[in-house]
Amino acid sequence: MTTAPSIRAGFADPLPEPELVLIRDVIYKAAGIFHPDNKLRLLLDRCGRRMKELRIPSLREYCDCLTIKPTRQAELVALLNEITIGETSFFRNQPQLNAFKSVVLPKIIQAKSHLPIRRLRVWSAGCSTGEEPYTLRMLLLEEAGAQLRDWNTEVLATDLNERSLAHAQEGVYGSYSTRNLTPIYRSKYFTSQSDKLQVNSLARSHISFSRLNLSDDSRMTFMKSMDAIFCCNVLIYFDLASKRRVIQHFFNNLLPHGYLFLGHSESLYGVNDDFRLVHLPGATAYVKGERTLSGGKSL
Amino acid sequence: MTTAAGTSTKQTLLQRLDGLRQIPTIPAVLAPLLRHLQQPIEQIDVQKVTDLLSQDKSLAAQCLQMANSPLFGRAKDVQSLRAAVVSLGFHHVSDIAMSCGMLNILPSEKSTLDPVVFWEHSLGCALICRHLARKIDFGDPAKAYLAGLLHDLGIIVNLWVLPKEFRAAWEVAKAEGIPLHEAEERCMGFTHCESGRLLAEHWQLAPEMIDVVNCHHSPEKSADSTGLSALVQLADLLCRMSDLNYGYVECRQVNLIEESGFAQLSHYSKNLNNFDWARLTFELESYMEEVHSLVRAIYRT
Repeated sequence: MTTAPSIRAGFADPLPEPELVLIRDVIYKAAGIFHPDNKLRLLLDRCGRRMKELRIPSLREYCDCLTIKPTRQAELVALLNEITIGETSFFRNQPQLNAFKSVVLPKIIQAKSHLPIRRLRVWSAGCSTGEEPYTLRMLLLEEAGAQLRDWNTEVLATDLNERSLAHAQEGVYGSYSTRNLTPIYRSKYFTSQSDKLQVNSLARSHISFSRLNLSDDSRMTFMKSMDAIFCCNVLIYFDLASKRRVIQHFFNNLLPHGYLFLGHSESLYGVNDDFRLVHLPGATAYVKGERTLSGGKSL
Repeated sequence: MTTAAGTSTKQTLLQRLDGLRQIPTIPAVLAPLLRHLQQPIEQIDVQKVTDLLSQDKSLAAQCLQMANSPLFGRAKDVQSLRAAVVSLGFHHVSDIAMSCGMLNILPSEKSTLDPVVFWEHSLGCALICRHLARKIDFGDPAKAYLAGLLHDLGIIVNLWVLPKEFRAAWEVAKAEGIPLHEAEERCMGFTHCESGRLLAEHWQLAPEMIDVVNCHHSPEKSADSTGLSALVQLADLLCRMSDLNYGYVECRQVNLIEESGFAQLSHYSKNLNNFDWARLTFELESYMEEVHSLVRAIYRT
């Protein structure tokens, strides 16, 4: 019988179960996504689901599935699927969006202030069913009367999965993915469709969906002149070599002042040395390494 | 730039600092405790520390509450200070005693900086200093903890001595989303680093602690050779960019490796150049929840 795995809650010292810490490290090393100690219970729960599915009785044996057995790569993907399940929703990462609006947008605007054409391009790379690009679109529209007055803004949304893209283009969402929407956003950018919400024409304006494989080098070369790229919980499925290639493309696709945003607790450590980690209020992002906007010490 | 108003505020500060000795709420136990804990570990007398703590019942109760928190080793049902020493080890009890001692010298007035927020920041910074010190093999983690805990001593001075002027500076910092020390400099003509140094000297803290209080925003000016100020600068920045800030969001971008503290710290730790700051940032999430709940629980005590 499969026994429910247990955890000595919390963090600091003494450490939680060594197998769980090992699984956390395997995931971080392979996928770049980190579970802090206060999220280990969640990780344990996700491992528990896989263990039940595989009828594996102990965390130690499951750990072997991820580290020793020939099927370890497939099992890692299965576990990552469990980890990221239900992750997609509107305004999913509010601190990241706040930082984008209050710190990053002013910096981009400042960097482009000398240019005759006021245009801003944001790319949602791996947009899944569309919640992220629509969120970004709404956020930019909200700024159109303030810091983005007289700016042309554009959101590019790409994904590999055609079914996800079809869902995104239809723009109809249930209660789970719309749970973070404030009443103002609901009324301004959505219409009701029985028990669901559909994105209205305003939120669909200047947003383009297309199918793109991030590993398609020739097409990636054309995704030029980006001010910001959001690629959340997508690279976790790539092996290191593919990840490095995609990140190098992102580096080339971004303008000199550009920003790369990853998912919550997702890191580029050991993947790329050209991007620099920066701390924003409540969030992190990556900027191109050879320069900062302030010409030295960041402000 | 220091304004005329700032200069006169600074003079007022110096005059009023003479009155610091009369601050009634400084627990009698704190100064001797501090002096005792700064000695080399082999000279520290466990019994003396527990005796000092036991003199103040509320302080002792707070220490026990902290001793039962996961932040300090997850001891179960610690009922006495002596038991805390046994189950947690002496260093953790020292950390706890100092933390609670600091808590008690904050004014209870909430109209400026909420003491809960200040304390969360100080405790958070102490924990992050300790965590970072361990990660990069930087000297003594207990000393790093103490440095993080004491670094903003000057804010306590400002709250006591010039509450109105400090409040104005804090309001400016909050409204503009700028670092507090920049607003202090603009509005008062000095920062909490300077006022903290005066108190730290008055309390006869160890030279490296005085240096931390004075130079944690400018470690490049540090005269101390331990690198503690640099460590605190980085930990303090991580706190301020997270949920352990001063009760407002600093609207800016920080690149740690461009901070002066990073270059300094590189001399002390070989691990720093390839250090995974992203992972450290994610790890700190665990502290935030615990710090918030612990500080709020202690404030209800």
